[in-house]
Amino acid sequence: MNEHEHDRRLEEVAAYAIGGLDPDRVEELEKHLAGCKRCQEELRWLSPAVQALPEAVERQAPPPELKQRLMAEVRADAAAEEKRTRAEERRERADARGGFGEWLRGLHVGGLTWRPLAGLALAILVIAGGIGYAVGSGGGSGGAHTWEVEPASNGIAAKVVTEGDRGELHLTGVEQLPKGRVLEAWVERDGIVEPVPALFAPDQAGRASTTIESMKGVSAVMVTREPAGGSKKPTTKPFVQVPIES
Amino acid sequence: MPWIGRKDAEAFEVFYDRHGGAAYSLAYRVLGERGAAEDCIQEAFISIWRSGGKFDPTRGSVRSWTLSIVRNRAIDVLRSKASKAPKMTFDDDEIIESRPAEELTEEEAMRDETATEVRGALSQLPDEQSKVIQLAYFGGFSQSEIAGMLNVPLGTVKGRMRLGLEKIRGELAEGLA
Repeated sequence: MNEHEHDRRLEEVAAYAIGGLDPDRVEELEKHLAGCKRCQEELRWLSPAVQALPEAVERQAPPPELKQRLMAEVRADAAAEEKRTRAEERRERADARGGFGEWLRGLHVGGLTWRPLAGLALAILVIAGGIGYAVGSGGGSGGAHTWEVEPASNGIAAKVVTEGDRGELHLTGVEQLPKGRVLEAWVERDGIVEPVPALFAPDQAGRASTTIESMKGVSAVMVTREPAGGSKKPTTKPFVQVPIES
Repeated sequence: MPWIGRKDAEAFEVFYDRHGGAAYSLAYRVLGERGAAEDCIQEAFISIWRSGGKFDPTRGSVRSWTLSIVRNRAIDVLRSKASKAPKMTFDDDEIIESRPAEELTEEEAMRDETATEVRGALSQLPDEQSKVIQLAYFGGFSQSEIAGMLNVPLGTVKGRMRLGLEKIRGELAEGLA
């Protein structure tokens, strides 16, 4: 490109800087700019002049209502954003502890959702001797209550004893666990399943117990076999489920 | 502007207070109607609010970025109208600072100084150079369109635009020296 041709490019750079270059010339000039240091420098040199142009405009005071309308929209946006963020956080928390609930919710048979299905399953299992059945629900005295599930075909019996907010889960007839596995209890509150922090394992006689620090609002206690260290969500189906009636 | 990503409404209000006046003045200068300028500002500032921080500090100041968004939106509005009839004045007397100096903050005073320099540079430009610059920047017209409007060859418009812009830049550089 000779000097004369380059001068014409520089004229286009000025037009480009001010937004006045013909649209059909923009793409070609941008390609040229990408590889031409002299034109890049010219563009950089002219930029402050272009940026200063709006400052020379006669000042007009914007009406106060404009700010009010703008800020109303901004605040509504911010509130909606905050609401979305909170809902997202709640969902993440629920996901973190609600794996079993998810699993149950995923069970849809003949239009039944997990709640009636769980009840139905329990009823069937009671009849068939599946995982046992509850006896003496809510029984007890002096503030202590006991919920029991009698031995089922797997031979496991379960009992939840509560006193105040605290609960104890006792299992009998539990098989020894393979290496690297533990028992983990879960409580369901308002449809959300949370892990019980105290992991446990059966003794030589097949007895296993754990403590549930708070039984407030709990509608069921379940137990699964989990990898050592426990899980945030159940990774296997519960082999014990004790309904707690309030 | 990290507050954009944080969706900080209070910070945005400060941002509007700082740049809203200049932005509105620019929109009004381009569009020539208060209602249209208000709509333009509302849309431009909401787009900034929702942009999530697309501002690139390596490419200029927050203010120039904001004003370029406002200018582009105003030009889009102009172009979307069937008849292009921007408010174009070439009377330098119209370019005056309306607020008294004592109301200006230090930052605004510096801008005021720049504005004075630009106004001075514009006023010293030959009329034909000032016209092509104002038609391009405030009217959104391309060089070919300006050539047609002024009934001059395209090459003449190109030359006037470059010369005029170089002179304004030279005045600014002298002011900074």
